[in-house]
Amino acid sequence: MRLMKTLLAASVASIIALPAFAQQQEVIWWDFLAGGDGVRMKALINRFNEEHPDIKITGTTLEWGVPYYTKVRTSAAVGQGPDVMTYHLSRMPIGRSEGVLSEITDEDLETAGLSRDDFFERAINAASDDNGALYAVPFDIHSIVLYYNKSYLEGSEFLDENGNLTGIDSLEDFERALALAKENGSAAPVSYATGDDGGVYRVFFTLLKQQGGDLIKDGEVLPGDSLDKAAKAIEIMTNWTEKGWQPEQAEYEASVALFTSGKSAFHLNGVWEVPTMVDLAETGKLGFEWGAVQVPKLMDQQATWADSHAFAIPQQTGKEMPAEKRQAVMTVIGWMEKNSLSWATAGHIPAYKPVADSEEFGAMEPNATYSSLADTAAYDPRSEIAGVASPVYDAAINIVSPAIHGYLDPQAAAEQIKSELQSKLR
Amino acid sequence: MATHYNRRKHLAIAFSLVAPFVFFFCLVFLWPAIRVVELSFTNGPLIGEGEWVGLENYRRILTDNLFYTSLKNNGYFILLTVVPTTVLALTIALLVNRLSGRLQAAMLALFFLPYILPVSVVTMIWTWMLDFQFGILQPAFAFFTGKPVPVFKDPYWVMPMVAVVTIWWTNGFNVLLFIAGLRNVPQELYEAAALDGANSRQQFRRVTWPLLWPVTALVLTLQLILQLKIFDQVYLMSEGGPFNSSYVLLLMVYREAFQLNHGGYASAIALVLFVVIMVVSVLQFQVLKVRGAR
Repeated sequence: MRLMKTLLAASVASIIALPAFAQQQEVIWWDFLAGGDGVRMKALINRFNEEHPDIKITGTTLEWGVPYYTKVRTSAAVGQGPDVMTYHLSRMPIGRSEGVLSEITDEDLETAGLSRDDFFERAINAASDDNGALYAVPFDIHSIVLYYNKSYLEGSEFLDENGNLTGIDSLEDFERALALAKENGSAAPVSYATGDDGGVYRVFFTLLKQQGGDLIKDGEVLPGDSLDKAAKAIEIMTNWTEKGWQPEQAEYEASVALFTSGKSAFHLNGVWEVPTMVDLAETGKLGFEWGAVQVPKLMDQQATWADSHAFAIPQQTGKEMPAEKRQAVMTVIGWMEKNSLSWATAGHIPAYKPVADSEEFGAMEPNATYSSLADTAAYDPRSEIAGVASPVYDAAINIVSPAIHGYLDPQAAAEQIKSELQSKLR
Repeated sequence: MATHYNRRKHLAIAFSLVAPFVFFFCLVFLWPAIRVVELSFTNGPLIGEGEWVGLENYRRILTDNLFYTSLKNNGYFILLTVVPTTVLALTIALLVNRLSGRLQAAMLALFFLPYILPVSVVTMIWTWMLDFQFGILQPAFAFFTGKPVPVFKDPYWVMPMVAVVTIWWTNGFNVLLFIAGLRNVPQELYEAAALDGANSRQQFRRVTWPLLWPVTALVLTLQLILQLKIFDQVYLMSEGGPFNSSYVLLLMVYREAFQLNHGGYASAIALVLFVVIMVVSVLQFQVLKVRGAR
């Protein structure tokens, strides 16, 4: 009888407790973050869930690139998409053309405790359409930086008294440093993923932007003298191959390994490899002193290829998001922004200025050293054929990479990029 | 009356037996196929409605340089694979056929082994073996050409190497077909030929080859259809590059549909590829039949 009573009491209690559970908002979250990024994001999600008993994020990590964006598009079209998703700002134009992004209103931002002025201007611009309507909330700014191995430069003009990189203000300076490193026994003085779409594209785009060139402008690919500037960029990269300064056909992992194993004096790669270097240095496995700086001004002006991870809310067909859910989603986004300091340990620069300007971030090295690049960040052109895993990336592996290995003359390669991409713009 | 009733009963049973198949056939093949045709006349995205544009997509195909490049590459790939793989399979089958018992089974299994591997495993094995920096086959390239060759990044090497990988992967099945064909050739014919003083070359030309012809024709046709549909190997190993030298029609369909969200245009290309495959294979089969009947 007592057992009966207990059971009865328990079931009554569970029935009463049910509505409390039902009030908890579940936020379905999709991201494409694997590796070190993924670990940090999962930690953030767990922390959020612990601090918010009323909201529960259920996260899923999907495969980066075309598979991710295809899934987003198809699921949103049938109303089976997530409540919030990570998105590359470089993918905004195609995302908007697909109609899968829901506009983030000022009211939404207010719910999240954010405002547009809290973010770096270039990131907000990349997240908005031509009329200024916002479609995503930038989370970070990530770009390529120049990693360097001090051991090849010791005693030269390229290290100052504190052992930091100095004196690289032009292409000639940089190439002199490469020649010096070669003399000092560096097998591949500047390593980057020369046989990989992203690696080649980021360097190519940076060199193009530093000359003031445009990849796509007003629906035209490499307009005006940008064609010659693109050729010039390819010519520089080809020269690095010919001089034996950069590795041939290096896949991404190989290009990183060349630097971490001490064979390269310089390494052009994304900030996301910073944790790799930090961890190796901490455990004493790196074997040399390293640093990372903003890509120096090699051409006419300062510019670096950059992209942002951002949060977006899918526009789902036949499914309007209830106001409470939207509130929960915006709460998640706001919390993530305010806690993006731990995201910065993955090398990224927080797009949220209160964190980027904070003392803690200022003390975080080498991020603080290169964070100045946020002001001259060059985002991908605003075009449906540009951005992560786009035809522009395909052109990098299809045309630029073989060209810099001597299979095609730089001018002809630039012309092929122009005609190929132009035909995709129809 | 009874027969009439019986016939109806028969029909009912027959229909109920094929109904599941017909249902699934219509659901997962016929209906999508009709939709593809429909979609190819619109400017629709991958999902969602588009506007009717008539023959615009087809007109566009005719002016698309990439389409011609892809078509040419498909043709080149056919040349590189169909006849070579058939000849190779026949040779291997003839050799294996001379063995007997366990040894023959073992050899057959050895040649069939690659066929059971998934394409991703196959391409992984070969990209590693041919890796520019660490590939185990690179010393061979260095020996013949003087330096290592990044085969999937070289416009001249890429298609032949994709063909080599494809032949290595799919050859086992053709060997099996040929073995089956060879076993069907009556042993007495060889004995009679030997009695008439035919040497082994004459035996092959006068006995084996003509009697094996139906199998050869089948292998050639199957290979033609299969190799026109090349996608996986190119997608996984060379991504269509360099300079589009390995860009093929299905890759174009994939990129248009999934990367650029051009459902209509992608459908049109897919249909053109379908027509190409149909016409070419029917033509080839007819030609082969005529030759065989001679």
